[in-house]
Amino acid sequence: MPMPVPHEYGSVIIHNFSGQAGLAAVRFDHWLHRARYTCRLCHVDIGFAMEANATKIEADTNMKGFYCGSCHNGTRVYGSKKIFAACSLSPRPGEDTRCSRCHSVGKKVQKEYDYASFTKGLPKKNLLNLVDWEDAEARGFIRPIDFLPGVSMERPPLTLQKDFSIPSKGWGWMSDIIFSHKKHARWNGCEVCHPDIFPSVKRGTVKYSMLEIWNGQYCGVCHSRVAFPLNDCQRCHVNRVRR
Amino acid sequence: MCWFLTAILVAPIESFYCGIAHSQEDWSKEFDEICSKTEDAMTFSVEELKSRVDRCDALKPRIEKLDEPQRKVTLKRLQMCRDLYAYVLEMKEKK
Amino acid sequence: MVKETCLVGVLVLAIVGMTLAETGVKKKRPLPFEYGRVILNNYSEEAHLSPVVFDHWLHRSKFTCRLCHVDITFAMKTGSTGVKASDNMKGYYCGTCHNGKMVFQGTKIFESCSKKLQADDIKRCDRCHSLGKNVKREYDFAKFTERFPKERFGNGIDWEKSEAEGYIKPVDFLEGVSILRKKSLPVQKDFALTPKVEGMPEIIFSHKKHTVWNGCELCHPEIFRGVKKGATKYSMVEIMEGKYCGVCHSTVAFPLLDCQRCHTKPVQQ
Repeated sequence: MPMPVPHEYGSVIIHNFSGQAGLAAVRFDHWLHRARYTCRLCHVDIGFAMEANATKIEADTNMKGFYCGSCHNGTRVYGSKKIFAACSLSPRPGEDTRCSRCHSVGKKVQKEYDYASFTKGLPKKNLLNLVDWEDAEARGFIRPIDFLPGVSMERPPLTLQKDFSIPSKGWGWMSDIIFSHKKHARWNGCEVCHPDIFPSVKRGTVKYSMLEIWNGQYCGVCHSRVAFPLNDCQRCHVNRVRR
Repeated sequence: MCWFLTAILVAPIESFYCGIAHSQEDWSKEFDEICSKTEDAMTFSVEELKSRVDRCDALKPRIEKLDEPQRKVTLKRLQMCRDLYAYVLEMKEKK
Repeated sequence: MVKETCLVGVLVLAIVGMTLAETGVKKKRPLPFEYGRVILNNYSEEAHLSPVVFDHWLHRSKFTCRLCHVDITFAMKTGSTGVKASDNMKGYYCGTCHNGKMVFQGTKIFESCSKKLQADDIKRCDRCHSLGKNVKREYDFAKFTERFPKERFGNGIDWEKSEAEGYIKPVDFLEGVSILRKKSLPVQKDFALTPKVEGMPEIIFSHKKHTVWNGCELCHPEIFRGVKKGATKYSMVEIMEGKYCGVCHSTVAFPLLDCQRCHTKPVQQ
């Protein structure tokens, strides 16, 4: 399995309609957005799919205030900074640079934020040297926003299940998995996973194994491309000691 | 005499056609009568429900004779009405 | 030899896994104006027309579910009704209202289908037969629902509240189509359903809320067969497949993603 390169990990190439519009494909890097917003905000409230090219974003829908356009509308702010508007139907000359901020595959584009400098002080984990986002939040380096006025709606929280162990199918040497709802629900709420990724039924009803996970299903929806990767076995296959 | 013969010839034809027109109106009236009370089904007795199911079954052959798509639509409508009464009947009988 | 066999085996499994990857993934969720969209294509292509795009939101703001699905007998499954132009022209299905004569809320409803098409008639056909075409709709979702009370997911509208607050007044009776019936109906009291998953709040099912727009025949006995509560066993698996509650609550009524709309009552510990 190829080892992920830190600044490219979580990168998604979106190429539904860019070509038709005479633009380069979009490169979306998760790291910047995930430092600022919870997974839930984009994937539940805004409704992005969790598979490249599945959302089928159009310039038209962005301009109507959906998807990227929920924030990238030229009016919404992050902190004190206005967020640049995403799309135009007929870009004026000189507006190319704005389009290229996202439609950048194959182009030499100077991004506003550089991975190395942005993540410099953030805690890293393991040999892969990827950012430990959980630790980064615990230490106050990041404070992901979970509510967007006009998009999000308040909901009383559902009771979190206690951490539980999932028996490993084995081969003798892989220890059981300790799954923590608490850790996952912090950024995902319930609806990121349920019922789409994990149908909300009695435990054990839906059967899956590492084969499906490596294929990008179940845990693999996040943990193959954006959350800590599957190479990092011991993040899930922990010893039976409860933390 | 001519008048009398005409009357004898015309009368059966007339009553034949009147009969058809009459039964067409009848099925619609009967349908309305049976199926306008589906929402009261829970308040009906077992006998009343049985009677309504039977009346639906009796009405079905007359609706089968209609032209398409009136036949298809009305049959479906009748089926939903009949099945609802049968459903409530089953509920009451199993109690 | 063993190595090669294993490799082929893994490859086959991987391919099979990828083709069957419908579970355990998160697909695109329809946008508010797309939710409830039904594509009808029984005979459109034969007639050299684009398939029909029917958006529920406009009709559901004006009529009850019962009117179309019981009185007019539209099926609850895409493609099952098999609507033909001839049916419409005879005044059935879409043609019940879309006949160029019926006046609703001061507007004449456009005629749906014609036997002989003239040059400018194509525009009229395109109003419904619009899949893949850039057709400007008469009503814009955002403008139409601007002031309606909002909710999460689906159309993003709280339809129940919209009616309660008078933004919509769905019509339940059409002269010459509906049977005249009493307005008020005696209904069962709300009751609780216990979920199979430990920790999920109980479901409170309200007959009253459902019968306001559905009457009785829409659900019974076609969708909910069992007469005795608890007789028919079903779980979220069947619901998510589009059965039982899922007949409406997967594609048209508020979606299953919004768990707490049904799972409202805390479990009695």
